[in-house]
Amino acid sequence: MDTWIAAAVFLITYALIATERVDRTVAALGGGVLMLLFGIVSQEEGFAAIDLDVILLLASMMVIAGVLRETGFFQWVAIRSVHVAGGDPIRLLVVLALVTAVLSAFLDNVTTVVLIAPVTLFIAATLGVSPLPFLISQILASNIGGAATLIGDPPNILIGSATGLDFVDFLINMAPVAIFTLVIVLGWLAWIFRPSVRTAVDVTEAIASLDAEQVITDPALLRRSLAVLGLTIVGFLLGGVLGIEPATIALAGATLLLLVARRNVHEALAEVEWPTIAFFVGLFVVVEGIVAVGIVQRIADWMLELTGGDPTLTTIGLLWFSGFASAIIDNIPYTATMIPVVQDLGNAGVPIEPLWWSLALGACLGGNATIVGASANVVASGMAGRAGHPISFRMFVRYGIPVTVLSLAISSVYLWFRYLT
Amino acid sequence: MTTDDPGTTGAREPRLDRAAKVEDGMKLLAIEPLLVNVHDDLFAIMARAARQPSTRLIGVLDDDGRLVGVIRIRDLVEDVLAHTIPEALMSDLTSVDDVARFGHQVETHTAADAMLPPAAVSSDASIVAAFRRMLKDGLSGVYVVDADQRPTGYLDRLELAYLATRGLPSASGHASDD
Repeated sequence: MDTWIAAAVFLITYALIATERVDRTVAALGGGVLMLLFGIVSQEEGFAAIDLDVILLLASMMVIAGVLRETGFFQWVAIRSVHVAGGDPIRLLVVLALVTAVLSAFLDNVTTVVLIAPVTLFIAATLGVSPLPFLISQILASNIGGAATLIGDPPNILIGSATGLDFVDFLINMAPVAIFTLVIVLGWLAWIFRPSVRTAVDVTEAIASLDAEQVITDPALLRRSLAVLGLTIVGFLLGGVLGIEPATIALAGATLLLLVARRNVHEALAEVEWPTIAFFVGLFVVVEGIVAVGIVQRIADWMLELTGGDPTLTTIGLLWFSGFASAIIDNIPYTATMIPVVQDLGNAGVPIEPLWWSLALGACLGGNATIVGASANVVASGMAGRAGHPISFRMFVRYGIPVTVLSLAISSVYLWFRYLT
Repeated sequence: MTTDDPGTTGAREPRLDRAAKVEDGMKLLAIEPLLVNVHDDLFAIMARAARQPSTRLIGVLDDDGRLVGVIRIRDLVEDVLAHTIPEALMSDLTSVDDVARFGHQVETHTAADAMLPPAAVSSDASIVAAFRRMLKDGLSGVYVVDADQRPTGYLDRLELAYLATRGLPSASGHASDD
C-alpha cells in the first residue's frame, strides 16, 4: 500500500511541477509533507534526506551573485566584450553568447542571462534587428556553460553532493565536452542566424561610445566581490586536496563577502531565492519517499533489464533518456530522482563514474531542447516577451532540439571514447 | 467652487474646496497643455518639454486632434537616455521587469511608442475624481477633454494639491500654507 501511496504522491508532485498548475515550490513542499503525513518516511528520515550541502552551496552562491549583481559587473563584462567584438553582428552574437557561457559556469544561469540582456537589447535595437537570435543563443550557451562545472547548474550540485565528486572532478570531466560542444553549437548558431542579424547599419561608433566604467555602481564593492569570488573559485579548486567540501567553501565565500561588502545583511540575504531553496527541501523528502518504498530500486532493475547491464548501453541510454526527460520536466527533480537510481545501478555492478557524467550531461544539456527545459529558458523567454519579442514554444524548439541532439551526440562520443573503450 | 484664504503674505488667495470642479481648478492654474502628435520624434518632444517645464505630463494627439495617450516626463527622459546614454540605466537593471522595460525603451522612437493610455477627465468632474485618476495611474497631471476627447486644459497634480490644501491645518496642527 505504501508503494502505491508514495508513487501517487511522487507522480502528482511531478505532474504539478511540470504543468505549473501550482507553484513548483508549493508542489514540492506539498509532496514532501504528504510523504511525512502518510508515514512513508518518518520525520527523522525525511529531514535527514534534506541535503544541507546542496542547500548551503546554492544559497551561498546566490548571495555572492546577488552582491555582484548590484555592482554592475555583468553589464561591464557585456560592454567590454562587445568592444572586443566590434561592429560585426555575427561576432557580437558569438561573443555575447560566449561570455554568457563562461559566466554561467561560475554563477547562476538566470542571473547571467538576465543581466547580459540589457547590452544585448541595446545592440540589437541599434542594429535594427530582432534581439531574439542573440537571446536564444545566450540561453543555449548558458545551459552548456553551466554544465562545465560543479557550481554551474543545480543538477551538477546535486550529483556532486551525492557522490563526493568535487569541483576539479567536474572541471576535468565535464569542462572539455562542454567547451567542445559550445564551440560547435556557436558555430551552428552563427551560421543559422546569419541572415537574421545581417544589416547594413554600422554600429561600430555606437559600440565604441559605450563606456563600460560608467555602469559600475560601486567600484570598491566590485573589487571586493570579485576578490571574494576569485578566492571562492580557488577554494573550490583546492577543496579536494584540502579535504574541504564545496558547500563549506561557498559558505566561507558568502560570509567573507558579507563581512567585506559592509552591506545590510538583511538585504544581502534577500538575494537568496528562498522559493528555490524550499523547492529543494520538499524535493529531497519526496525522493526519499520513493527510495524508502523501493520504487527507485525497481526503476534501476528495469533499466538493468533493458540494457542487460551493458556499461556502454546503460551509460549512453541514461544520457539520452536524461536529455529527453530534462527537455520536458524540470531537470532538478529529475536529477534528484535519478541519483539513487544510478547508485543502485552502480551497486549492481555497472561502472558508476561514466553514469554520473552521463546523468550530469543529459540533465544539463537536455534543458536546452524546449522553452521549459531550464530556468534560464523560462525566465529569459518571459523577459523577451515582456520586452515585445515573444519566444514561442515552437520557435524555441526549432533551435533547441537541434542543439540538444548535437550536444547529446557529442557527449555520447565523448563518454564512449573517454570512459567506455 | 473656490474660497478665499489668507496666505503667508497676508493677501487672501483662492483655494479649491472638495466640491470644486475640474473647470475651477483649470481656470485657477491656467497651465498651458503640452500637446504632441503621435508621430512626433522623442527628441523633438523632449526639446519642447524642456521649454515648458510647468507642464509635467505630455498629451499625445492623433491626426484628428483627439487625446490618444500621455507621456510622463520621467519615461520620456528614460526612453531618450536608453538610446543615447544607456549606461545611465543599465547598472540599475537587476530584475527581469527592469530589463523588459529597457527592451521597450531602446525601441521607442516616437510618441506613439512611448505613450501610456490617455489619462483625462471632463471639465465638470470633481477635483477629487481628478486626483483619484492621477494617483491611480501614477501621473503628475491629467488632461481635461471635451466630449470628443479633444483637450481643453491641463491640471497639474502638485499645483492642484497646493491649491486644494493651502490654508488647511496639516497633521502636525500647523497650517499647510507656505
